[in-house]
Amino acid sequence: MTDTQASRRQFLKLLSAGAGAAAATRLDGPPAQAQATGPVKIGVLTIRAGIAAPVGAAGLRATEWWAERVNKAGGILGRPVQLVVEEESNPKDTVERYRKLVLQDQVEVVLGGISTGVTLALGPVAEDLGTPWLSWDGTTQKGIEETMPNPKWAFKSVDNEVEAIVAGILTPKYFKGVKTVAGIGNDYSYGHDCWESYQAVLKRYNPDVKFVLELFPKLGVTDFTSHIAAIQQSKADLLMCSFWSGDATIIMKQAAAVGLFKTMKGVFTTAGGVHDSLKKEFTPEGLLLGYNTMYFDDPKASPLLKQFVREYKAKHNEYPPYECDHAFFNAESYKVAVEKAAGAGKKWPEKAQVVRALEGLEIESLSGRRSWREDHVQMCSFYQGITTHKNGYDFVTISPIEVVSTKQAMKPAGSKLFEWINGWKV
Amino acid sequence: MQKIFNLACGSFYALGAYVGVSAVGWYVGAGGPPALFIVPLALAGLAAGAVGIVIERGLLRFVYDRDETFQLLMTFAIVLMMEDAIRLTWGTAPRSTAGLYLAYGQVQLLGATTPVYNLIVIASSLVIAVAIGWLLTRTVFGRIIRATADNREMAEALGVDIRRVYAKVFTLGTALGTLGGALVIPATAAMSEMGIELIVEAFAVVVIGGLGSMRGAFVGALVVGILRSIAISVYPELEMLLIYLIVIAVLVARPRGLFGGAAA
Repeated sequence: MTDTQASRRQFLKLLSAGAGAAAATRLDGPPAQAQATGPVKIGVLTIRAGIAAPVGAAGLRATEWWAERVNKAGGILGRPVQLVVEEESNPKDTVERYRKLVLQDQVEVVLGGISTGVTLALGPVAEDLGTPWLSWDGTTQKGIEETMPNPKWAFKSVDNEVEAIVAGILTPKYFKGVKTVAGIGNDYSYGHDCWESYQAVLKRYNPDVKFVLELFPKLGVTDFTSHIAAIQQSKADLLMCSFWSGDATIIMKQAAAVGLFKTMKGVFTTAGGVHDSLKKEFTPEGLLLGYNTMYFDDPKASPLLKQFVREYKAKHNEYPPYECDHAFFNAESYKVAVEKAAGAGKKWPEKAQVVRALEGLEIESLSGRRSWREDHVQMCSFYQGITTHKNGYDFVTISPIEVVSTKQAMKPAGSKLFEWINGWKV
Repeated sequence: MQKIFNLACGSFYALGAYVGVSAVGWYVGAGGPPALFIVPLALAGLAAGAVGIVIERGLLRFVYDRDETFQLLMTFAIVLMMEDAIRLTWGTAPRSTAGLYLAYGQVQLLGATTPVYNLIVIASSLVIAVAIGWLLTRTVFGRIIRATADNREMAEALGVDIRRVYAKVFTLGTALGTLGGALVIPATAAMSEMGIELIVEAFAVVVIGGLGSMRGAFVGALVVGILRSIAISVYPELEMLLIYLIVIAVLVARPRGLFGGAAA
């Protein structure tokens, strides 16, 4: 076959892929053994523009760190790792880029996916194209409901609402006597899911608690003065906030300016994602702060995490957030699964064999032990704690540190979220 | 005056915010007293306005006589390009000025704790508004601006160098945008897409107030700001709906806006 023929065939494959998912799938799936020699091509989908860019950048940096480390150690089964990075933007364009990674670049696996809206669209495409997809942070949930209960090729992140559930469990422990609660979150699925889950959990521990205000500003708002005035006016005992980007820093700063937390307790379920911007000057001690699944300053950190934090800080002049752990786990679990599936013969495995090896696999990630549940959902631990100024940084950290496993805080496979929460014995 | 609906004003605001963060970072790093941080902040904001002359001479002057659609597309292209330029220069993470927001302390005002910095910004805005009003109504340059806005051909026939007037006015407008971005930054954080957020609100303000009217912009901003605050306190779901209901009502009942006269 000539190069021209090959190109034409590839072009036709792409064309038919664009024409329709179902047809594209079965006719145009790349051969599983296409690249059993040479570099292992690994597709990475990440967000490098817009409000989620810091999250995407952190995931990509961690994946690059992993690839460098793996290549230094001789690659995967002797094959060096080569990352093929594509942008995650809107669902339609990202689906096309996903197809390009699989059909044109012929990657062995796709890593990444952050936005829920995008990953909802990617899930069925991943199933059709027959290449493993390990999602960093988006899930294939619509709201709190699973849209892909039994995926074959897609591996999902933890459920959106877990950190709100963890915060709901920890609130009665640290903030006794709370009678009224106000909530603020972004006006899209994550913000609403977190608020509903937090309320449901808190009600279990404190049936008399009243939720007196809920605010859902758009993502990207930079002025919360009016929202803070409304929160003050509500006279709630506690504010629950699920902001996770620059808006977490902004509301903290603007709340400090009017002394909000002098009279009110605060729970920031996810603000640890921008932890080094939460400066001591405006972030008080005594708030409950969530770091998602990795806490960079964990005194019990493994040598791996210590090395990662040190090198990340040296290279990027920042302390790494949680997305690094999601990305590292996905990449490292793929490597371990390939090696496991290859067995003693060390023959490069079929993609389906890699998928089987991933199911139930537990490995050492940056944050400790982390695994894939049999239904392709990540299992890990969440880190939250009470903010403190007693550290050597110019921003807050947490002490004491609470570590809550997804075994406790994520709904089991096949169950309904609120039925599960309402069934708790507390 | 230039009869251009300039979407890029939001980008100038974002640019001013980032330049302000960098200037204050440099100032504090060099050991400058925190109490005077507003000086480098404002100067940096004003200096960033120099980008206006580059954009006006380099791009906008080519579309003055084109259809409004071209102008909108051109200024929207500038928005997107500046967003990327900001991202390339300052990175993707939000940037802020740490704790300087509270450097001037807080006061109790009508029973509410208010940062003194907010009062300084409100006072600065009033001073700028009065100064612009004075410039437009009491100076020769102001008369030239108004004459050019009223009738460009006539002003040109009377010897006004339109190119210079346009460049100066656009640069002044840009500097007001960048200064606004710089002054607001201690209270918030700079994010590359903050410009787009502002454009949407600015659109509501100018439609309510009246295109081309300074008094209209002032009153429109107050109407939007106060309505948002009331809506958030009383019925948060109505925050945006209420503002755009008023925008629609103004467009239907008084298309020139509350203060937009025949000359607007």
